[in-house]
Amino acid sequence: MNPIAALRYGWNVNVLGPAVLRLQRWQAQRRPARWDTRYLAPPLRIAPRTKELVARHWLAGRYASGYRKVAWVTSGAPVELLKALDFYVLYPENHAAICGTARLAVDIASEAEGAGYSRDLCSYARTDIGAVLSGKTPVGRLPKPDVLFACTNICQTVLFWYRVLAEYFGAPLVLIDTPFVYTEEAAEHAVRYVRRQLEEAVPVLERIAGKRLDERKLRRVGLLSKRASELWLEILQRCRHRPAPLSVFDQFIQMAPIVEMRGDPETVDFYAALLKEVDERIAAGIGAVKNERKRVLWDNLPIWYRLRYLAEFLAERGVAVVASTYTNAWGELAPLIDPDDLWESMARTYIYPILNRGTGHKLRTMRQMVEEYGLDGAILHSDRSCKPYSIGQMDQRDRLIRELGVPALLLEADHNDFRVFAEEQAATRLAAFVEMLG
Amino acid sequence: MEPIAKNSCRALGIDIGAATAKIVAVDGAGNLIWHHLEPTEVRVEEQVDRFLLLAREAVGPPERLPLVATGYGRGLVRQATRRITEITCHARGVFRELGYGGTLVDIGGQDSKVIAIGPRGEVLDFVMNDKCAAGTGRFLENTAHRLGVPLERMGEEALAATDEVSISSTCTVFAESEVVSLIAHGVEVGPILRGLHRALVRRVVAMIRTVGLTPPLMLSGGVVRNPAVRRMLEEETGQQVVLPRHPQLMGAYGAALLALENG
Amino acid sequence: MELLPTIPSRTETLRAWKAQGGGVAAVLPIHYPRALLRAFGLLPVEVWGPPRVDPAPGAAHLQPYVCSIVGNALSFLLSGGLDGTDVIVVPHACDSLQGLGSLLLDFVRPRQPVFPFYLPRGRRESDLQFLTEEFRALYGKLAAATGRAPSEAELMESIRREEEADGLLTELHRRRRALPLTDIAFYRLVRAREYLPAEAFSALARAVLDAPPTDPRAGVPILLSGIVPEPMALLDAVAEMGGVVVADDLACCGRRLYPSGASPDPFRRMAERILNGPPDPTRGSPIAERLRHLVGMARETGARGVVFYDVKFCEPELFDLPLLRRGLQEAGLPSVHIEVDLNDPLSGQTLTRIEAFLEMVLTLPPPPSAAGEG
Repeated sequence: MNPIAALRYGWNVNVLGPAVLRLQRWQAQRRPARWDTRYLAPPLRIAPRTKELVARHWLAGRYASGYRKVAWVTSGAPVELLKALDFYVLYPENHAAICGTARLAVDIASEAEGAGYSRDLCSYARTDIGAVLSGKTPVGRLPKPDVLFACTNICQTVLFWYRVLAEYFGAPLVLIDTPFVYTEEAAEHAVRYVRRQLEEAVPVLERIAGKRLDERKLRRVGLLSKRASELWLEILQRCRHRPAPLSVFDQFIQMAPIVEMRGDPETVDFYAALLKEVDERIAAGIGAVKNERKRVLWDNLPIWYRLRYLAEFLAERGVAVVASTYTNAWGELAPLIDPDDLWESMARTYIYPILNRGTGHKLRTMRQMVEEYGLDGAILHSDRSCKPYSIGQMDQRDRLIRELGVPALLLEADHNDFRVFAEEQAATRLAAFVEMLG
Repeated sequence: MEPIAKNSCRALGIDIGAATAKIVAVDGAGNLIWHHLEPTEVRVEEQVDRFLLLAREAVGPPERLPLVATGYGRGLVRQATRRITEITCHARGVFRELGYGGTLVDIGGQDSKVIAIGPRGEVLDFVMNDKCAAGTGRFLENTAHRLGVPLERMGEEALAATDEVSISSTCTVFAESEVVSLIAHGVEVGPILRGLHRALVRRVVAMIRTVGLTPPLMLSGGVVRNPAVRRMLEEETGQQVVLPRHPQLMGAYGAALLALENG
Repeated sequence: MELLPTIPSRTETLRAWKAQGGGVAAVLPIHYPRALLRAFGLLPVEVWGPPRVDPAPGAAHLQPYVCSIVGNALSFLLSGGLDGTDVIVVPHACDSLQGLGSLLLDFVRPRQPVFPFYLPRGRRESDLQFLTEEFRALYGKLAAATGRAPSEAELMESIRREEEADGLLTELHRRRRALPLTDIAFYRLVRAREYLPAEAFSALARAVLDAPPTDPRAGVPILLSGIVPEPMALLDAVAEMGGVVVADDLACCGRRLYPSGASPDPFRRMAERILNGPPDPTRGSPIAERLRHLVGMARETGARGVVFYDVKFCEPELFDLPLLRRGLQEAGLPSVHIEVDLNDPLSGQTLTRIEAFLEMVLTLPPPPSAAGEG
C-alpha cells in the first residue's frame, strides 16, 4: 500500500467527500420534485440518501488506486469473495447505467464505436469500453482493475467484454462459468463445477489481494448479503399492496446498492430504512402513482434514458408499473444463501439467476407475478442490447395474452442507446396498450 | 477547361455510380482534358455506348484507348479493358489532383466511404457504410422529400437556420418519422434540417474514426455541393476540408489514370 | 483443376444412411461430440442456418436483432426442413443459440427430442471435468431416447474414426494450396464433414490427398475469418477477383481442426479434443491467443491480408474484431470487415469491398514473412 494514496483516500473518502455529499443531500432534500407530482407521488424521502450512498461508492473508487485492490465485476458475480478480501468492487454495468440515465452513454459509447466496436454490441459494453478508451465518465475517475471477475450467469456478453478489458488493462481475468439451466433443476455436475471454480478462484484472488481469505469474514459478508437481499425482496413484495407504494421506476433507482454494495453493512441499513418508508407510505395510503387504475409488469432491463418519460406517460394515464422480473432478480435468490454452508449455497445461488434459466422459467416467473401482484398487463422491453433477456419474449408475450388474458406489449428499445429508440412509435404503442388495459 | 487538342487523349475512365454516371479523358501526362456527367440510366450498356460516342466527338476515336471502368455498374461496361473498384480509383484520382495523401470522405447516394490514402497515393485502409443507409446521401434525400425542400437547397437552408433540433434516430426510416413528429409539434423546417445534417455528419465522422483521421481531410462525391455537410464536417472534426476541383469526377478520373498507367 | 471425386449431397447421404436403418441427429453450431452421436447410430448433420430460407416462420419467435444463423435454423425447422431427423442437438455456443435451445424446449417443442448441452468457456481442469460429465449426461439422454447403450469400447472405436477424419481434415487444410482444387471445391469438400459419416469423409479426403500435388494456385493469398463462407459463391467471386484463400479461421472449418485425444476414458477424451481445438471466442479463448493464431497462420501460408467475414449481430466475432485488426495491422497484415445476412444474395457492395481490399493488399508492402524473412 502506498502511504500517500492511503492518506489521499482517507482524506477524500472518509473526511472531505462525506461532508460535501452530506451538504449535497441536505440541499437535495430542500429542492422541489423534478417530476410531475400531479400524477406521481412526491419523491421518496430516502432518495437523497441513495444518491449519497452511491456517490460515496464511486468516490471511494476514484481514490482507490494505490490504496485498495480493485476488482471489476459483472452484476451477477459472487462478489462476497471479493468483499471478504477487501477489494474495492466496481460494476461496469452500473457505471454504464449511470451514464445512460445521465444521457451520456451515447457520447461515451461512440468513443468505442470509433475504435471499431460495432453498434450491434451491447450498449453497456460499448459505454464501458468507451469510458476506458477516453477516460470520459460522470463519476470522476474509474480506478484501473487489479483483477477482472466475470461470471457468465447473466450472459456470455460479459465474457467477451471482459476479455477485451483484459487486453486493455493487462489484468488477470477470473472466470466463474455457470452452465445455463435449460430445465427446472441445474445438473449436480454443473453445481459442482461452479463450486469448484469458486474454490479455485480463492488462491488467485488471495495472491492479488495480498492476504488470506478469512472464512469468518466471508461468512459475515454472506450474511450481510443475504440480509440485504431479503430486505430488497420484502420491499418489492410490498408493491402487492394497492396502491403500490413504489413503482418499478423507483425500484430501478433504488436497486443500485443491492447490486453494487451487496455485502456491506450500510446496504442493510439502507434497505431497512427504505422498507420503513415504504411501510409508512402504505399506512398513509400513498401510491407511487396517484390515481392507480391499472397495474402492470415490466420485463427486462430499464430504458435508462427514458425513465422519467415512461413513468410520467403511464402515471398520467393511471397506469402503475409495480413489478419487474429485473429488480426481482436481486431478491429472489436470497433464500438460497446459507451462511452455514456458504460454498455450496453460493454455487447454487449463482447458477440460478433468472437470466441463467430457460425461457419457460421466465414465463412462469411472470405468470406468478401477474397473480401475486394482481397485474392487468405486461410491458416486455425488447432490448436490442440484451439478447439473453429478450429471446423468448415473443412467445412469453403470446402466452401471457392467451393463457392469462392480460394485454402484453413488446416495446422495442435499448437499455442505453437512445439512437435506436423511436419515441413516436413507442408513444403510439404505449398509448394503444393503455387503451387495451381499459 | 482548356481547349482540347484533338487526339491528345491517351486513356479513358468511366464511373457508373448509383446516382450519376461519369466519363473522363486524360492526356499522356494524366491531365483531365474532357469529362461528361449525367444521371445513371436504367440501361447502363446503352448509356456507355452513348458516352463513347460523345468521347469520339470530343477527343477522338476511343476504340484503341485503354478504358478502366469503376463504380457499382463497372461490370456492365463491356468495352472496359479493366475494372477497378471505386475505392482504388477515388484514391488515385484525388491523390493526383491534390498531390498528397490523407483521409478522403466520399459521400454518395447509396454508399459512403472513408479511404486512408498513403503518401504514394496507395489505399492504406478503407471503410464503407454497412447495409443501413444512415451515413449516405439517401438519408437527406428521404427527409428532404418529407420537408418539401428541394435537395439542392437543403444545405443552404440548414445553414441559414440559427437553431438546431437534435435528431436522435440514425435509422433513415425512424428519422423520417421523427421529422414528421417534429413538424406536427410545430418545429420549423430550418432547425430540423440542421439536425438532420448533424446526424448524417456524425455518422460519417464515426466512419472516419474507425480508419483514423490523418489530415488533410478531403471530401468528394455529389454531396460536396451541400455546404452544410462540408461546414459541419469541419466543425465535428476540427479539420479544414479540402475539395478537389472536380469532386464528382474523382472516381472516373482515377480510373482514367489507372488506365493510362497499366492499360 | 477439378480432380475431386464426387461428393455425395446432403440429401443423398441422408437417404442412404436411413436406408441402412440409421438415425439422424440435427446439430446446431459449433462444437459437439460427433463420436458420441455416432456411437448411438445417429449421423450428425449440421445446421448452419441454412442460407436462403423463408425467414418468416422464425421471425414469429425471434426478434430481428438475432443473427440469421439462428433465425434461419428455426425457420428451417418450422417449415419441415428437419423432419427427417430423430434428435436435435443444440450446443451452447452463444447467447443466441442458448435462446434457441431454450425456445425449442419450452415453446416450439418440435416432434424430436431436443438435447442442449453447455460448453465451458475455459481450459482449466475444472472445465475439462465439467465437459466430460456433460457428455456423460448427454449419453444418458441419448440412451433414453434411442434405447441403446453403446459400450466404452464402441465409444472408443467411434472416437478413433472421428480422430482419423479430423486428422485428414487438418491435412487437407495444411496442404490446401497445392491440392488440385479451387477454393469453392475445397470448401465443398471440407464442409462435407458437416454431414458425411466420418469414414466416408475420410475416404474422400484420402483420394484428394493422394492425387499428385499441383503447382500452388496463383493469386493474392488471403486468410478468411468468421463463421461460414456463405453464400459459397463468395469463393468463386474471390477467385475471379484474383484472390486465393490460403488459410481460414472459420467457425465451421478451421476452428474445428480438433487434435486427437489422449485419455483412455472416452468421455474425457471427447472433451479434451474440443477444448484443445484451435482458439475460438465461443470457447472463451483470450484475444491475444486468437491473434497469435491468426498471425502464425498468415506467416505459415504467406497470407497478405485477412478478410473478416461475419454474420450480422454475431457478438462473439464483433467483440474481438477491433483488437484483432489492430494487432494484425501491427504485424503488417491489413484486414477488412464484412457483415452479411444469410438470406441476402452476395451484394455488389460486399464484392466491391473484397475487390478493393485485394487491390489495396497488392499495393502495400508484403508482411515480413511473405517477403521471405530468413
